[in-house]
Amino acid sequence: MIVGRLNMNNRMSDNAGISRREFMTRMGLLGSLALSCPAAALAELRVLKANHRAVDSAPEWQSEAAWQTIAQVQETLFPAAEDVPGASDFGADVYLHKAIENPNADGEDKDFIMRGVGWLDDLAQQSLKKTFLQLTAIQQQEIIEVIVNSKAGRNWVSMLLSYILEALLTDPVYGGNNNGIGWKWLQHQPGYPAPAADKTWDKLLQRRYTVT
Amino acid sequence: MTDWDVCIIGSGAGGGPVALTLAKAGYSVVVLEKGPWFTEKDFYKDELACCRRSVYTPKLSEEQHVIEDSDRDGNWVGEATSDSGWDFWNGNCVGGSSNLMSGFFYRLKPEDFRLLSEFGPIKGANVVDWPISYEDLEPYYTLVEKEVGISGHVTDHPFAEPRSSKDFPYPPTTEHPVSRRIDETCDSMGLFSLPTPRAILSRDKGSRRACEYSGFCGSYGCSSGAKGGSRAALLAQAVATKHCEIKPLCKVYKLSSDAKGKVVSAEYYDAKGQQQSIRAKLFVVACQAIETSRLLLSSTGPKHPQGLANNSGQVGKNLLFSAGGSGNGDFEYADMDTRAAENMKIRGPFVNRGLQDWYFINDKTMGGRIKGGTVDFLLRHPNALSKAMSAKWDGDDLVWGSALQKKLKSIFTDSQTLRYEIFCDWLPTDDCFVDLDNSVKDKWGSAVAKVRIGYHKHDLKVGSYINGHAEKVLKKMGATNIRSNISGAPPQNLVAGGCRFGHDPETSVLNANCRAHDVENLYVTDGSFMPTGGSVPYTWTIYANAFRVAEKIKNALM
Repeated sequence: MIVGRLNMNNRMSDNAGISRREFMTRMGLLGSLALSCPAAALAELRVLKANHRAVDSAPEWQSEAAWQTIAQVQETLFPAAEDVPGASDFGADVYLHKAIENPNADGEDKDFIMRGVGWLDDLAQQSLKKTFLQLTAIQQQEIIEVIVNSKAGRNWVSMLLSYILEALLTDPVYGGNNNGIGWKWLQHQPGYPAPAADKTWDKLLQRRYTVT
Repeated sequence: MTDWDVCIIGSGAGGGPVALTLAKAGYSVVVLEKGPWFTEKDFYKDELACCRRSVYTPKLSEEQHVIEDSDRDGNWVGEATSDSGWDFWNGNCVGGSSNLMSGFFYRLKPEDFRLLSEFGPIKGANVVDWPISYEDLEPYYTLVEKEVGISGHVTDHPFAEPRSSKDFPYPPTTEHPVSRRIDETCDSMGLFSLPTPRAILSRDKGSRRACEYSGFCGSYGCSSGAKGGSRAALLAQAVATKHCEIKPLCKVYKLSSDAKGKVVSAEYYDAKGQQQSIRAKLFVVACQAIETSRLLLSSTGPKHPQGLANNSGQVGKNLLFSAGGSGNGDFEYADMDTRAAENMKIRGPFVNRGLQDWYFINDKTMGGRIKGGTVDFLLRHPNALSKAMSAKWDGDDLVWGSALQKKLKSIFTDSQTLRYEIFCDWLPTDDCFVDLDNSVKDKWGSAVAKVRIGYHKHDLKVGSYINGHAEKVLKKMGATNIRSNISGAPPQNLVAGGCRFGHDPETSVLNANCRAHDVENLYVTDGSFMPTGGSVPYTWTIYANAFRVAEKIKNALM
């Protein structure tokens, strides 16, 4: 059966206001080309980040033991490979820090995550007489395999994973997904317009409480 | 002495048409909206804002519902949504949830207005005929096409409802290559693949720009103004008349009535939590079904000891959701040639296809002629986080490390998913209603709505029947990994009823004009009026009826 179908070429001429390329991109016709080499994008990102580290010193919180532990857990949960961005590549710790320190965030998440760091170190001390950070990569994996067997441990890892996935796939305005690497890796085309820095969810949320 | 001619509580699809019609007629109109006033400049394709944080809806710790579901032994057990996390809010902001809809716009069919006489009674269901007919509503369906801006194309088919205009005022939105495949498959199966009308502009309309085909539509606010929500399509025009004022962040908690039973004022909390009051000649309630019933039940007065318009105890009764369910099938890129795969990957254009071949089912195995429903096709929502989060679990086990990464890669890059949604009548029963829960209070100290969500088994029977047919379409198209789900779980965003209209004040809340039987200056114009829901999404019917009632109100004010 033939139904009223618009010819895409006709549609294009209706859009004099936007360029053909922009339109093609919008329609997803160029999207897969632009996103076709995640490994190269990843290598580029890693060079970029190394250069940044050489120039800018890391923020203070990143040197705190708890946050170093969190970053290491994140990397264990989402490890880097040549063609796979790891948690450190896309700034999972920066994202999480921003997210849970946000005054509009649910404070319970922060408490739970920080308490979990304590449990993790306790367990590492009890079983191997070391802090989590002092363990080998294999031992770190094994400890996480142990904690996901308890309900609390599973909830803790699940929460960290949720924030990791948010860091991987939300707009870079939120601190993760550096250079859009998460989108490139998974060939995901973000929607547009992308959130402006003054219109992030927490800023919009303020509008529920005050007339602007 | 009154401040306003008309005070409307709620600014969504039920409030917008009334505000526009009366403001255009020169009456002074004030709209009280609980939520904030976002505009196109605030809407971004931000999955955190739309779908993972409470930006468009209240925090459940501040405002919640109590949901009563039956446990294994058949007892009704209530749980506050602040405990369960089961969110029943749908967009509390100027324009309401119509800001966030997908805009699948279907009319009801003439038979939907007389379900009882057409199909007879069903045991355990409170099926009735409507006090108006399709012909009464038809001019307003047409008016909505123009005012809201509906795009589509009328095709001749056996299930078409009569219409007074030849075609839609806007041509269909651009369509995805998969639509042609659906057409070819349905054609080969003797089914009528229908173009789905959408409340999405395919061309500019005034200051509203045509759709920009971002591909993220449902659940998101529209940044071009193409989506025909109440705010963009109607309230903007109403405000432009200078006869309409919209007051955001004003939460009405009670309508006060006098010794004669008339409503005199709306009592509300402003943004600072201060109690305020507005007087008007006439009041219109349109807070979406659950909150409309809650407000009326909370509004006791000398003539309304059980709540406003509730002297027959009917307010909150016969709440409706939408029965049915959904199905998914995957199209693996590896099974296609490059061009077909690139076509499948295209994002932005709409599928816009539906099937109404089973809107009426005539099958001996189903007990003769019964009411069926609609199937609507769409591609899986491109939301990245919802896809990614689904990868985190394998049953009760967490997936992490390289196993998670492999799963993500596969979910995102191996296939496209075509979905269908089935819309059936949610039969009205005594087990689905709104009441007040005095043990749970919102942040202002008001009793929250308690919602019992029982469904009729017949709904599952109908849904499963249609699902069997819909699955066959996906299969014939070559989809793999077909999975579907028909359940009695209520879709929170498809809600109506609770204040059914009818001729008899003993069995209905509103008269045929949607005025409360026992309150001469109170109207309800959201989906609450519907005594039966039909087998399509509600929004077009809510819009049309609100425009119809606005004319009745205009006459009442003269």
